[in-house]
Amino acid sequence: MKNSEMLRVEGLQKSFGKLEVLKGVSLTVRKGDVIAVIGPSGSGKSTLLRSVVNLEKVSGGSIRVEGEYLVEDGRYATEKDQRRIAAKMSMVFQHFNLFPHMTVRDNLTCAPLIVKKEDPEQVFQRCRDLLRMVGLVEKIGSYPSQLSGGQKQRVAIARAMMMRPEILLFDEPTSSLDPELTGEVLAVMKDLAGKHMTMVVVTHEMGFAREAADEVLFMDEGIILEQGTPKEIFRTPKHERTRAFIEKVL
Amino acid sequence: MLAGAKLTLFLFCFTLLFSLPLGLLFSFVRIGRRRIPRTIMGGYIWVMRGTPLLLQLFFVYYGLPFLPGFEGLIVLDRLPAASLTFVLNYAAYFAEIFRGGIASVDRGQYEAARVLGFSRYKTATKIVIPQMFKVVLPAVSNESITLVKDTALVTVLGLGELLHFAKIAVNRDSNVAAFAVAAIFYLAMTAALTGLFQKLETRYNYE
Repeated sequence: MKNSEMLRVEGLQKSFGKLEVLKGVSLTVRKGDVIAVIGPSGSGKSTLLRSVVNLEKVSGGSIRVEGEYLVEDGRYATEKDQRRIAAKMSMVFQHFNLFPHMTVRDNLTCAPLIVKKEDPEQVFQRCRDLLRMVGLVEKIGSYPSQLSGGQKQRVAIARAMMMRPEILLFDEPTSSLDPELTGEVLAVMKDLAGKHMTMVVVTHEMGFAREAADEVLFMDEGIILEQGTPKEIFRTPKHERTRAFIEKVL
Repeated sequence: MLAGAKLTLFLFCFTLLFSLPLGLLFSFVRIGRRRIPRTIMGGYIWVMRGTPLLLQLFFVYYGLPFLPGFEGLIVLDRLPAASLTFVLNYAAYFAEIFRGGIASVDRGQYEAARVLGFSRYKTATKIVIPQMFKVVLPAVSNESITLVKDTALVTVLGLGELLHFAKIAVNRDSNVAAFAVAAIFYLAMTAALTGLFQKLETRYNYE
């Protein structure tokens, strides 16, 4: 199934009142792809991601995950199907959104235990494995308030991975971190990319986009203005706006 | 006087026991999606918080038997009338406290729960209510201390609670000692409550 299509977005439209945030966005993500979405703030990057994971309802277009329509030409699947399809994806948020009243262990295990009702022994084993992967096994009994921002985000990545998603979405995962803490989070993300996790990453980290992404999408004013390999986007951008953005952020 | 203290304690415990869950239920209605129940609940809370508890006691005990159209149908004994009024009144206050507590839970918590597949019910019971609990503790503590002292109001219905007997003793013996004893009882109760809530706050102090 390598290189099979995981996610296909077609002509996605979304408005908040009169403001059109997405004006027909289309993209395809294949298994193992790492896609970086860059662009100025307000360009619709986060809305695109939030629509894909069903946190926002779109007004038009289609989202298909592994061939199944979450929304087809603006018409949503049944509530039950939406849940099932959205469960193939997990998301890492800008502000971590860890549950502050739970320990790291409970943050990781609550959904598999409560929602999926999985075997506890397997869940706890997976919890330890994933914490080891993000280098935080020793924090298993800590509360989020006892962790640094970088540690919180690593826990959030582990929590998202606990759901064994087919696709992992990142919404500006390093934007609320102190600069010296972004490295540890990006390292975990690169590690995941190296393990062929399918990822869509909205980011301002051009370094990550350049080194870890297979494809870079440049979004501007609700459309994907340009897409290509990191080399194409960063070295030989076709559009003036892309060039201007990249010059500004590099 | 011991019998009076017992009644005071009973009224206090009974009110808390029923008004806390009822208040939680009311707060859900108050913030719910359905507009008409939401508005009705808003009106209910306004009336319960906007009129004196004393008036409400009079209304339920003396007023309901003369309610136009229901004359003689709703006749409650003193204690049931007092207990019911207290529960309904305190539930309105708790509903507002809980509403504030629920509003303080960050939107991101709901989004994370949703992405992790939590249903609305599980999001409420596992994510929102536990976090609300910590936020509302100080306000609930305050309210329960007020309740201790509000119980003295039922003496106007002729119920034999603590202050009722204290007053009789003072009149009988021409000695204020009984008032002091009553005061000490109220103080002891509020001290115990303060201690209890402090313990709870420490226990739920996860940040």
